[in-house]
Amino acid sequence: MECSFALTGKGYVLIAADMTSARSIVKMKHDEDKVKPLGPHLLMTYSGEPGDTVQFAEYVERNLRLYQIRNHSVLRPHSAASWIRRTLADSLRSRSPYSVNLLVGGYDVSEHEPHLYWIDYLGTMATVPFAAHGYGSYFALSLLDRYHNPSASLEEGIETLKRCIDEVQKRLIIGLGKFKVRVVDKDGVREIEI
Amino acid sequence: MARRYDSRTTIFSPEGRLYQIEYAMEAISHAGTVLGVLAKDGVVLAAEKKVTGKLLDLSSVKEGGYGGSGEKIFLLNRNVIAGVAGFSADANSLINYSRQSAQRHLFSYNEDIPVEQLVQRLCDLKQGYTQYGGAFIPLCVTSSLHMATGLRPFGVSLLYAGYDPHYQFQLYHSDPSGNYSGWKATCIGANNGTAQSLLKQEYKEDISVEDAIDLVIRVMSKTMDSTTLSSEKLEFATLKLDETTRQPVAKIYRPADVDALLAKQGIGKKDGDVEMK
Amino acid sequence: MSRSYDRALTVFSPDGHLFQVEYALEAVRRGTCAVGVRGKDVVVLGVEKKSVLQLQDPRTVRKVVMLDDHVCLAFAGLTADGRVLIDKARIECQSHRLTVEDPVSVEYITRHIAGIQQRYTQSGGVRPFGISTLIVGFDPQDPRPRLYQTEPGGIYSAWKANAIGRSSKTVREFLEKNHKDDMGRDETIKLTIKSLLEVVQTGAKNIEIAVMESYGKVTNLDLAQIEAIVAEIEREKERRSGSVRDWRQLRLHRQPCTWVRLPQTHRRRSVSLVLQSP
Repeated sequence: MECSFALTGKGYVLIAADMTSARSIVKMKHDEDKVKPLGPHLLMTYSGEPGDTVQFAEYVERNLRLYQIRNHSVLRPHSAASWIRRTLADSLRSRSPYSVNLLVGGYDVSEHEPHLYWIDYLGTMATVPFAAHGYGSYFALSLLDRYHNPSASLEEGIETLKRCIDEVQKRLIIGLGKFKVRVVDKDGVREIEI
Repeated sequence: MARRYDSRTTIFSPEGRLYQIEYAMEAISHAGTVLGVLAKDGVVLAAEKKVTGKLLDLSSVKEGGYGGSGEKIFLLNRNVIAGVAGFSADANSLINYSRQSAQRHLFSYNEDIPVEQLVQRLCDLKQGYTQYGGAFIPLCVTSSLHMATGLRPFGVSLLYAGYDPHYQFQLYHSDPSGNYSGWKATCIGANNGTAQSLLKQEYKEDISVEDAIDLVIRVMSKTMDSTTLSSEKLEFATLKLDETTRQPVAKIYRPADVDALLAKQGIGKKDGDVEMK
Repeated sequence: MSRSYDRALTVFSPDGHLFQVEYALEAVRRGTCAVGVRGKDVVVLGVEKKSVLQLQDPRTVRKVVMLDDHVCLAFAGLTADGRVLIDKARIECQSHRLTVEDPVSVEYITRHIAGIQQRYTQSGGVRPFGISTLIVGFDPQDPRPRLYQTEPGGIYSAWKANAIGRSSKTVREFLEKNHKDDMGRDETIKLTIKSLLEVVQTGAKNIEIAVMESYGKVTNLDLAQIEAIVAEIEREKERRSGSVRDWRQLRLHRQPCTWVRLPQTHRRRSVSLVLQSP
């Protein structure tokens, strides 16, 4: 029942994910943070097989950090997303594949553009203006089709995101509780309360 | 006494020196000159070829050489070219390795390898050969470099000219010890001292590619053994940005282009007796 | 003949020496000098850096490097060896975080680096790393600064203050005389620079200083800051030495223990004379 959204706007990417951790019919936790900052200008949400998700996200986090320390430079969003996709694709063809779905958003400081990538557990990657994973996507994508504006200000972007979250809370059979929202722009990564 | 420490493999001498590396550097100081100049809108490389005989068939070189490269200047990746000084055979395997490294980076990150990283890859390999023979370098995927433990360092120095979005145009130098450093203008091989001091005098910040070409040819004509420059003796390359795509474009001059360039600069074969001021 | 390439290069000599390790230490002594000084709640790394040539790009000359957010390293010896060893250490730092979730402790990464250096003294066909390192940092949730040293043989040790590289003996003796426990930030930085000035004749422009004040807080002093401190030190020296004779006595007093080349001492003395003449 996990659910994550992301959308780009004028100079930023907004990323949101629900905060529940569930097993079978039981909600185990309602304060799980599934939006991971991967660098000064990079964010990733993850959903999928519990266990795989955290394991994979930490693996990615540490490797991107290693790259940064080793090379005195940060991977640009497109390169980081490509590496993550490649890692997932390699894992899919191994004995124990990771089953995780990702949204990777970042701000490219060299060309001053926000970027968003949709990646699934099969290693598919797409560059998109907005994206969603999970059951929520059935409601959110049509809303985003209607309301997304690539040159919207942050406030407008947050409004659109709220529409998506409200719709999911209203229509989905299970209430997902709170959402964690983070934004990445030229100033870096920060959390937003909604 | 020194015999004990310089004959077998790379080990420390009692003074803490690595003679094998020093000898390799000595060999390079007799090799054909390679010169590089960093300009604000590009990089220029030139290399001296030591022609070994009159009957040497240069027709294959006339076709543009192996893989779009010459005999001394090679295309390592779309955004990096390198000029080599030293043993050609060693150089060939290093060039091969660096091309693989660049492709591996493209495979993983879907971007051109940043220039310094490519230099570092190659230097890690070179360092490995001064310490353990490079046989257990994990980066190496398929290469003949695996076959035996090396007993000596690579006898090659390189100048790398490259472009990446992080630091734009760059010029690096690496030597057999596995050290590298960034430069605005530098020179390796025979007569590099003379060339260095000439460059020091004449290099200006914010030099343009056109002026850099001019400077390179002027310095080369003064440092090379022969009095006349021609495509038989000189290789030439530039790395610039394509005006429309803003992507780096390497141009390794074909022999005809080199001769044309030299003629334009007034030091071609025909009026070879005219020395530039 | 048994002297084939896969034989260990570092073997005991009949009188019990590991010559390759000792020679590697010589390579370290030929390297530029690096100093580490621990204060009360600060630790400072200072390195002598070679003058960057006119046409060289200063960006690529790196003498003090980060291993992780909270650990810094300086080395003396063969630069290429240093780069490779640092790379291994950086991988371990991140790998440690991935496996146990915590950052490495400074001692852990020191032990790891020393362990790698030791392996290269005992395996077939390899020579030891020609570098010594100084490692500084803070452990997570611990306000105490740390300073460690590793050597080519794989020895590691904790220090209040130490020096490696060219003329490190002179610097160490200076530190032994002048180091105090519980030094503040500025005092620690000053002592670091003062000790480096013992071997760096050219002053501020050939000194690089990194200051670590708490977990993950590292600052590099810029040239102007270092110059200011150097000037202050020189003023103090002038004031304290008063006459030329005192200064000479100070030098003479140190002479018995400085086996380091005499010409250098001469040169330094003449420098100080010039300073005092106006």
